[in-house]
This record gives sequence, C-alpha cells and structure tokens, in this order.
Amino acid sequence: MTNTQVPDVRPPRATAASAPPEAPVRLSARDRGTRLLATLFLAPTIVGIVVFTVVPIVGSLVLSLFHWNVIDSPRWAGAANYREVFTDSTVLVSFRNTLVFMVLAVALQLLIALTLALAVNGRMPMWLRSVFRSAFFFPLVLSAASISVVMKYLFNQDFGVVNWALGLIGIAPVPWLTSENSAMAAVILVYVWQQFGFSFLLFVGGLNNIPKEIHEAASLDGATGLRKHLHVTLPLLSPTLLVATVVGVINALQVFEQPYVLTDGGPGDSTRTVVMVIYESAFEQLRFGEASAVGVLLFVLIMAVTALQFRLSRRFVHYQ
Amino acid sequence: MTDSHVTRRTLLRYGAYGAGAAALAGTAASWDRLTGADIPGRDDGSLVVATLGPAYGPEAIRTLTEGFKKVHPDIKLRINAVQATDWSDFFAKILTQIAAGTAPDLVYVATEGVQLFAQRLGVALDKWVKRDAAELREYFADVHPSLVESMMYEGSLYQLPVEFNAADMYLNDQVLKRAAAGFPAADWTRDDFTELLRDMKKSSGSQFTPYFWTNRLWGGVVPWLFANGTNLLAESKAPGGAWLWDGFYPSAERQGRGGGFRWTTPQATDARVEESYDYLASLIQEDLCTRPEGGNGQNLIGVFSTGRVGVTPAGGFWAGGLHLAGMEPGSFDVQYFPRWRTQRMQFGAAGYALLRTSKMQDEAWEFIKFAARRDTLMRLFETNQTTPARRSMLTADRYREIGPRHWQVFYDTLDKFPDTGPIPAPPQVAEVEQVLLKHTGTALSSRRSVGPALRRMQRDLEKAMERDV
Amino acid sequence: MSQATLTMNRTRHALAPWARIAGLTLCALLTLGPVIWTVSTSLRTPAESFDLPPRIIPTHPTVDSYRGVFDQIDVWLLALNSTLVTALIAVGQMITAGLAGYAFARLEFRFKKPLFGLVLATMMVPLQVTIVPVFLVLKSMHLTDTLLGLIIPAFPTAFGTFLMRQYFLGMPKDLGEAAMLDGAGPWRTFRSVYAPLATPGLAIVGVLAFNYHWNEFFRPLILETSGQNYTLPLGLVSLQGNLGTGSISVVLAGVVLSMIPAVAVFLVGQRPLREGITSAGVNR
Repeated sequence: MTNTQVPDVRPPRATAASAPPEAPVRLSARDRGTRLLATLFLAPTIVGIVVFTVVPIVGSLVLSLFHWNVIDSPRWAGAANYREVFTDSTVLVSFRNTLVFMVLAVALQLLIALTLALAVNGRMPMWLRSVFRSAFFFPLVLSAASISVVMKYLFNQDFGVVNWALGLIGIAPVPWLTSENSAMAAVILVYVWQQFGFSFLLFVGGLNNIPKEIHEAASLDGATGLRKHLHVTLPLLSPTLLVATVVGVINALQVFEQPYVLTDGGPGDSTRTVVMVIYESAFEQLRFGEASAVGVLLFVLIMAVTALQFRLSRRFVHYQ
Repeated sequence: MTDSHVTRRTLLRYGAYGAGAAALAGTAASWDRLTGADIPGRDDGSLVVATLGPAYGPEAIRTLTEGFKKVHPDIKLRINAVQATDWSDFFAKILTQIAAGTAPDLVYVATEGVQLFAQRLGVALDKWVKRDAAELREYFADVHPSLVESMMYEGSLYQLPVEFNAADMYLNDQVLKRAAAGFPAADWTRDDFTELLRDMKKSSGSQFTPYFWTNRLWGGVVPWLFANGTNLLAESKAPGGAWLWDGFYPSAERQGRGGGFRWTTPQATDARVEESYDYLASLIQEDLCTRPEGGNGQNLIGVFSTGRVGVTPAGGFWAGGLHLAGMEPGSFDVQYFPRWRTQRMQFGAAGYALLRTSKMQDEAWEFIKFAARRDTLMRLFETNQTTPARRSMLTADRYREIGPRHWQVFYDTLDKFPDTGPIPAPPQVAEVEQVLLKHTGTALSSRRSVGPALRRMQRDLEKAMERDV
Repeated sequence: MSQATLTMNRTRHALAPWARIAGLTLCALLTLGPVIWTVSTSLRTPAESFDLPPRIIPTHPTVDSYRGVFDQIDVWLLALNSTLVTALIAVGQMITAGLAGYAFARLEFRFKKPLFGLVLATMMVPLQVTIVPVFLVLKSMHLTDTLLGLIIPAFPTAFGTFLMRQYFLGMPKDLGEAAMLDGAGPWRTFRSVYAPLATPGLAIVGVLAFNYHWNEFFRPLILETSGQNYTLPLGLVSLQGNLGTGSISVVLAGVVLSMIPAVAVFLVGQRPLREGITSAGVNR
C-alpha cells in the first residue's frame, strides 16, 4: 500500500519543479542555493534548540498541570498549581524580590559600567587603558559560586574585611547578610561586582564606534563635560545601551548563585529569588508541578519585560 | 611585503588545519572519556551506592571498594561520591536520577532524610535483620539504642547508623583563659552559660563574639528548644519495634523505646519555644551572640580557631575539622550543652538507605552490613571527620593527637542522657527546615519580632505538615 | 591648529586627568580586591585567614593549601574533564554560532524573523526550569552521566549567534555583492569572502563559551553521577569538607587553581574579546 502511494505523491511535486511557467514564484538557482545553505547553516542551532530547549519547555508546561513528586506517577492537577502559586506568599515575595533586584542591579551595573567606560575612554597612555579594561572585566572570568563563597567571608558582620574597611572611615558595622534591610544590598553588590564588566566592555565598544568628528563638533559648539555626554554621547550610544539593558535584565531575572550561597534566601524571605524558589520547590520539596508552574510564569515575565524594553526602545534608541 | 602577507595567510590557514586535525584527533582519542566508556563497573550490573562527596574522599572510596571486594568478591560494587554542598543539593541529584529511572541501589541518608526515604523510597530492613540476627548482635551491642531508634519509622528499621553528631558545646581555651574562666562543669546551666559569655565579652573586646552559631536544623535553634524541654513539632513515638529491642537490647536499655519518632503538630507558638527565642534574642541584644547566618557554617571553623569566637555548638566532626584548621589539641575542648529545664540534647545520624527500585536488594544488604562493621569504620573514620556510631571506637587513642580532652562527652551525650534525641525530621522535612530557618532569621533579626515571626512560622509549619509529600 | 584648540577645550572642560585616573585606579583596586584577598589567603595558614587588617602579603607564605588540594581531589582528572567539556563546547559554539549568525545576517529565507526570535528566546529560559526534561531527553539518547551529555546540549548558543550576526552585519555588503557578480554562489561567497573575516568574532564566542562553561556548576551537578565524570567546579566542592569543616585556605587554593585556565584564556583572548564584543552593541 505504501508502495502505491509513493508514486501518487511524487509526480505533482516533480511537475511543479519541472514546469516553471506554472509556478507562481520562480526561484532562481541562486535563491534555491541560498535557501539550502541557510537550512544547512541553521540546522545545528535550530535542531539543538528544539531538542534541548523547546521540548523541555513544553515538558515543563505539561508538568505544570500535574502534581508530581518524582516518586509516584504524575497526577492531573489542572490549574491547581497555578492557583497555589498565586496564593503562596513565598512565591509572591520571590517575584517581588526578583523585580526589585533586577531594577536595582541593572541600574547600578549600567551606571557603573557607563561611568567607567567614559572615564577609560578619556586620554591616557595605551597600556594604562588596557590595564583598566582588563581589571574591570576580570571578575567575569570567575565562577559565581566560588566567588560568592569568598564574598561571604568578606561581608561577615563581625570579622569581614568589608566592615573593617568601613570602620576605617567611621561607619559602624553593617549586618550585611543577617538583616532583612541590608541582605539584598549585599547580594546586589556582589552580583554587580561580577557582572558590570560585561556592560563595561559593550560601552567601551560603543564609544569607539562613535565617529570622532561628532565629539569634536560638539566640543567646538561649546558643549561641556556632563552636558556633552547627556546630549551627544548618550543618544549615539543608545543602541549599545539597549543591548546592555536587555541582556542585563534577562540575566538579572535568573539570578541564583549569589543569594543561594550568600544568604540562602534569608533572613526570612528577603533575598529569595524566583529561580531559588523553583530549585527549592522542585528539588528540595519534591513539588515538580508547582516548580514548573513558577518556571513558566518566570519565562512569561522575562518575555514580557524584554518585549516592553524593545517597545520603549523605539522612542529612545537612535540608530545612526 | 606582499610575500610576507601571503606566507602569513598560508601559515594561518595551515595553522587552522593543524588545529582542526588536532581537535579531531583529541576528540577521537578521548572518546571513551567523553562517553564514560572507560569507567569500570558502568552498566554492568554493579551494586551502585551513592554517598555524600565531601564526606567521602577518594581514599574512603578505595577503602570501601577494596574492603568490600575482599568480603564479597562475587558482588560488583560502584560507589558514587555525589558532590554536593549540603544535604539538599545531594537529594536534588538523587531525585533527578530517580525521576529518570537511573536511581542507585543504596543512598547515604542522614536523619534529615530518614523518614522521607523510609516513607516514599525505602525498603525496611527488618527481614534481613531478623535473618542475620546472630551476626548483628555484636553491632547492636556496640551502638546506642537512641541512634538505632532514630533510624526507625513506624515500627520498622530502615538504616543501620554508622555515624552521628550530637550538638555539644566547643570552647576555645585561649578565650577561656583571657576571661579567667574555668572549664564549665558537666551540669552547667543556661545562666552559667550566659555569665561565661559576658565574661568573655568583657575580656576580649571588639571583633569578638562570644557565641557563634549557624542557622540550620541541626545545631541551630533546636538544641535550645530541647534544653528548654520542648520541640518544634509535637513529638511522640510510633508503636512497634519490640521485635528489635527484645532481640538485641537488655531490658534496661529497651525502656521506653518504640517504633521510631513521630513529629506531628507544629508548636512554634508554644510558650517555651517563644521563651527559647527570647533568650537567643536577648543574647544578640547584649552582643553576646551572632545573628543567625544561613549556610553551611564554613566561617565557623575559621573564626573559632582564630579566637574570634569563644563558644559554639558542634559535634564530633569538629574535632577533625579544627585539627585541619591548625588548632592544637590543648587549645579547645568540649562540654555538654548547658542545662535549662532539661539537659536533653539533639543529634543527627546517618547510614545507608535501601531503595525500593533496587534489583539487588540482597546484595545491597550485604553492603549495609559491611559498611557498619567495626574494621570498615575504623579505616573510614581515621581523621575524626565524624563521631562513629560504635561506642567501642571512641577511645583515648583516637583523640590523643587531635583532642579534645573531654572526648568522652561525644558518646556520653547518649549514654548519660538517654532522652537525647534526633532533630525533628518528618517526611516533610525539607519544607519544615526551610520554614524554620526562614522565620528564625526574621525572629532574631530585630527587636520585638520574635512573637510575630513565630506566629508566621506556626502558620507555615501547619501548611507544610498538612501536605502529603 | 584645530587639534590644538580641541586639546585645550578638552583639558578645560573634562575632569582633571589625574583625578580621573586616580578614580579609575581606586575602582580597579576595588574590583580586584576580592581576587587579591583570595590569592593571598590561599597562601596563608588557616589560622591567619581572618586577620584584620588583612595581610595582603602573607608573613609566612605557604603552599601547603595547594598541596592539600592535590591530596584531597584528583585535580588532573577533573581538569582533563573540564578541559574536554569546555574546549569542545567552545569549538562547537563557534561552529553553530558562526553558521547561524551568517545565515541570519546575510542569507534570505522564510521565517527568518521568527527563527531568530526563537534563538534569542532561549536566553530567557532558566536552566533550573528545564533540567529535569533535559535529563529525560539525554536518557533517551543514552547520554546521561557522560561528558557528551554536558557538551551536546550546549552547542546552540543564543548570545553567540546574536554576536556573530552582528559581526557579519558589520561587514561591508559590497564585498559579497562583488563576489556574486563574479559568479560566486552563496557557499563560495561565504567561504572565501566572509568566513575569513570572521575569525575575531569567532574568537570572542570561543572565549565567552570557555568562560561560562569552565565555571559551570548546576548542569554538571545534576547531570553527572560518576566521580570520574566530574568537572573541576564540582570536584572543588569536596574541599569544603563534611559539614563545612574543610580548611578555608584549601578551599581558596582550589578556587585559585581553577581560576588559572580561565584567566589564561582571558589574557590570550582579550584582544578579540574586546574587539568582538564591541560589535554586539552597535547597529541594529
């Protein structure tokens, strides 16, 4: 039966290809070559993404509709996991924490990176510039987990180097990791310390790409320091700013290692992030369905925030 | 110039070809490494045992593997030392394997997970224990019934304990001397303890905190709850277990034993619980005690060994740790937890749990017995990284070189205080622990927050305990 | 002449250069401080690890901690595994990102926009959400508890693809058009015109991949079961000891050791990294 069907299917295709006048759009050999090449070039990436991201995502979407503790077979839950998630104070707090973290960490990261990039872009010997660039990028090559272990020592209230240094300038010891008010600050500082180098490099590159003549013209027009940067540099840098913000936000919304090692989410829930909740409810409390529901919500949140940024960017980003 | 340009390009190209070839060759040569085909005992029907990595170095694994081979040459054994920073990391990994249907046969499980594994994943060892009773008599005679009871769930035994740690008080000698304080007596009280902290604070100045502790289920707030005669969850004993007590323990030691603990109704708002928190809050208020810090307590060894802390609760595992950190035998010592309303202390124990999914249960039982043998444990616990479950292994010899002087305290915590019990770890332990740590952090993070935080803790605990794991 | 005016203007209006350089130096020290502390603490005895003020130059430097690392874990096997995993992922990502980036930048085909969106969207998926399904997929491919199981899923790279797309977009379009006019097909145009120019861009994809995967902890933690398959970050965990009783100096010595290859790659790859990453933020 299969055999008889094959000839049936093939001919129409063959005629379509061999009878050019009937084809609505005629593809030249080159266009077909391009398509073939595109298919071949994209195949590794797309197949990989489908198998290792799309399928698992669909998997967790399905999982979010079940109760599953790994041990017994999954039980249908419908929307119960989502209802549970929306009434669980820990989950809600973790979303709030993550958003607060995102706003503060990304803002601080961009501010530091931009200031330093502008400063490094000023006149100085080549070698010095290269030393600074390397120094600021350096924390990125370290493992977030290991460096957080180190930071835990440095931020210790009684014996840490940070409070000792603050003491030198007359600031009383801060209970960095053990007070609800300052724990988030410590987590943000550690995170930004490690991450700002990336935005920094983006900005350095962006500044390099601004034609010198524009700056010179601005200077000749009498634009000075800060004003020049606000009115001339920033708009020209806006595409870079957009990339830095988008990538920064995506990463910040997935923060895990720093709070996990530094504070374990505490004190209370004050530094518990969404990804921590996902990890805890899945792997510690065996609630894989609920964890998947939180994961799906986080994914939606990240998409929404990213889309929002692109929408806003239409007003603020200027392409040369 | 053009020439050199061309040569450079050609060179680059050949360089690239060379690198490509080397990469291919390297990949081909390491193919067995990449696919794991070079690992002995893989997918060949070996008995697979998962242990907690940091506790089991390469040396320990060799000891276990070779020792077991001598006794049971016919059983192939593979030990996976799972690298994880704590028990929850460890369980995360085991669970993923269970979810994927590639679970090990045996898992090393501490008190934290005993009931969870027993209820959902484990196999009771009763039938084998009864069968091999003659062989095991020596083991039970050497292991305190409290430890054995902590491995029971609803009348059945799920693990043979091989190690345990009770929360005793470690004291830094140097700090004691500075404060001109003597070593506390075995029956010291909570007030003696407070006085000692005050003396230490007076004599040691800034960048010094007398009492340091880590916010965790084991050794955090719980020992204070026990000392104050209460618990986080109402505690009772399951019926049953007589088969074991009657078979292995003399009547004096059988007294009051049952079929394992039941931790049920949360009682975080109980007056005594609140009193315990108030006490800790007052210590923090007076700068006698650190605020609760989460995590695995890594700071602790460092700050204690350098004299920045005077007193801290820890178990036998600390003797080895302090030695590694460079503390001399005479520079620290250990005493029981101080008495409050009671001097009941808390411990956590560990052993191997047999998984229901195992297809080699008889072989697994042989390993459980092997792992609890005295000679095995002697080789395994050479560095005092924990307290052996076998009383006969705690000897002056063992502690001569590393201290502490009062090493007897470790086991006497069980022998002299028969009501000393395990940390509360019902099957819902993961959530209970999280709720406890979370609200303890809040309760003690500022003044007057104890009451409200405990009420929230109670509410969350109730929710956690209602949940079917 | 205008050059002179310009210089004058700059010096007049900008922050005094010495103040700027002093500020930058302070920031650089703050940035490197924790790293310096880590290295110096790993060279001190545990007893000195909490000294305040911190002694940056150890009074009695000792490499005992490093010896401790080699005694306690099989550093060589762990490093071999880490190297294999990281190098193959880096090479794989350079290939997948190079090809896909080129396709998105310079080839016309259907569903280009949604496909590119799909690639970028993978950046937004937290690992912790998909790890269990990924584990199941790997199991069906018989790749659990193998190094390949870590390597293959990491081949597609959203940021790398994005970067390479930007990189190819940055190249003059006329180059390819000229080649086309000479009769070169799409493949020839790619191979002989654009591909040779892409090396710095690929280098940055490689360096970033190395950086990230050398330090990766969560995936190996969940996916690798056998001790023989552990990577360095996983192996280092055991230095923390049972219940955190490991010596801090040894822990930090392990951190420093594992840092070395990443730093080496960073130093070697710095220039392409700097040049390549700049292209990510410009144009559309």
